[in-house]
Amino acid sequence: MSPTSILKKPSAPNLPSTDKAVNPRHLEVALHHANIIENQKNVEKEILKAILDLMDFPTDPKADPARPSPADAAAFCNPLNLFQPSDYDSLIEERNLAEHCGYALCPRPRKKARNNARRHLITTENGVQVVEKKALEVWCSDDCARRAMYVKVQLNEEPAWLRRGGVGQKIELMAENQGEHQIALPLRLKGTNAPATEQMSEEDAAWAMRDEALAELAQERGEKPGQLSKANDVLIAAEIKENTDSKTPIAPSAEGMGHSHFAIEGHVPKADLKKEHDSSEEEYEAEDGDEDQEGEDADDDWDIAEMVEDELDAVLQDT
Amino acid sequence: MDNANLSRMWRVFKTTKEMCADRGYSVPEHELNITFDEFKQEYGRDDGDVDRTKMNYSCQPSESMLLKYSDPPTEKNPNPEPQIGTIWVEFNGDDNAGLKHLRDYMHFLNQGNFYSGIMITPKQMTGMALRFLRTSTTIDEGPKGGVEVFVEQDLLVNITKHELVPKHVLLSAEEKKQLLSRYRLRETQLPRIQQSDPVAKYLGLRRGQVVKIIRKSETAGRYASYRWCI
Ligand SMILES: [Zn+2]
Repeated sequence: MSPTSILKKPSAPNLPSTDKAVNPRHLEVALHHANIIENQKNVEKEILKAILDLMDFPTDPKADPARPSPADAAAFCNPLNLFQPSDYDSLIEERNLAEHCGYALCPRPRKKARNNARRHLITTENGVQVVEKKALEVWCSDDCARRAMYVKVQLNEEPAWLRRGGVGQKIELMAENQGEHQIALPLRLKGTNAPATEQMSEEDAAWAMRDEALAELAQERGEKPGQLSKANDVLIAAEIKENTDSKTPIAPSAEGMGHSHFAIEGHVPKADLKKEHDSSEEEYEAEDGDEDQEGEDADDDWDIAEMVEDELDAVLQDT
Repeated sequence: MDNANLSRMWRVFKTTKEMCADRGYSVPEHELNITFDEFKQEYGRDDGDVDRTKMNYSCQPSESMLLKYSDPPTEKNPNPEPQIGTIWVEFNGDDNAGLKHLRDYMHFLNQGNFYSGIMITPKQMTGMALRFLRTSTTIDEGPKGGVEVFVEQDLLVNITKHELVPKHVLLSAEEKKQLLSRYRLRETQLPRIQQSDPVAKYLGLRRGQVVKIIRKSETAGRYASYRWCI
């Protein structure tokens, strides 16, 4: 048994040897990644907790999904900032497994298909449609399906632990009592001076919000609060220059572009150009009567042009 | 077809019994050797299918298992409490088991004072349920010894009975201590075994435990190696 030989590998060649000081840059990168992993774990746990809460939501069996109470609406919307659309699908799935309508603000049970057939014929505005049994049994009604999708399209595709621009704006609901929710949820600052907001004028509040946003941004970048980094300085010192003498845009024309159709990402291959030159010289010489050769060369050139064009097409299609 | 399902569940049932016995729970010999006809008699329904709800059972740890799962006694703590207890094995018939089922199962285990539980489902649980399982220790739900889930398919055969799978034996805390001091090792220096490794799952290994793996070799007879569960 010699486990030591397997595990105690000599340090990898690209790592600094032990007698030199640890490269702070490497340490920073390692820390950065460790932070992301830590962040991911926390976010995943938060999402799980939210789904556990929202799985049997709302608590009032008489709640109306069209007019949710402000408290219910907040309990639903607040954690959604962290959700990706796939997490939202998980929530719907878990609610369905608990026999609830997929929309988390609806207390009704999900619809049950009339029988166990895998596909069902449904009459809709667009005529009769074939619907999978599974899809049919997600919601209690089409209204809830619409409300739930209205929320889903607002979710951020990017995992919350990788988002640079903060968690994003508040999720809006499709509800008849929109106004109530705004009144019930006044904009509050998270910072330490939060209690003072009530006395603040609107403008002061706006400035405070900007400061807070900047502080959050700085924290996201890994800077210490109140300490401006170089990057920050540059951002603030940047001068805004208005483009005053703008002209009416002109559509690009094909004239005067010369060999541009040979260009590959803006670069015109010289080898081909030279060949074309040669062929034109030959054209000139061809007056001497060597017509066969000229024909062949022209063919070659045509092939190259075609190839370049094909390639361009392929690139365009890829993008 | 229903008979096929019955025989399928008979094999799954037998594997769970063997698994419990191999972990150290006391399982009577006749339960390990249950024949298909006996199984059909006991757990078959009139329509020929299987009645999963009847298949659930509990197991008590054997004396040797209790000992294995106890820390070595110290002066301060001369009678350390074993980190093991009664286990509840449940066959969930739901095709789709999710958070709700798992949570209900955990509440059931807590109320019945079970130390740990194994839930066997026809299909893989939802992703969120599996996430819940991974984090339930930090969320503070469920029984002390945790909950394990298996898919029926994974228990159709007993992997440890395959000739190419070497014998894995769990070391007690005391044995682990002796091993490390004998070779002057830290546990982190041992080769590792993932908790998700099929044999580790079969034995219900916990993080930090060490298994002894005994292989047969044509040149050296039998030799042992050790792995640290992560
Ligand atoms: Zn509904």
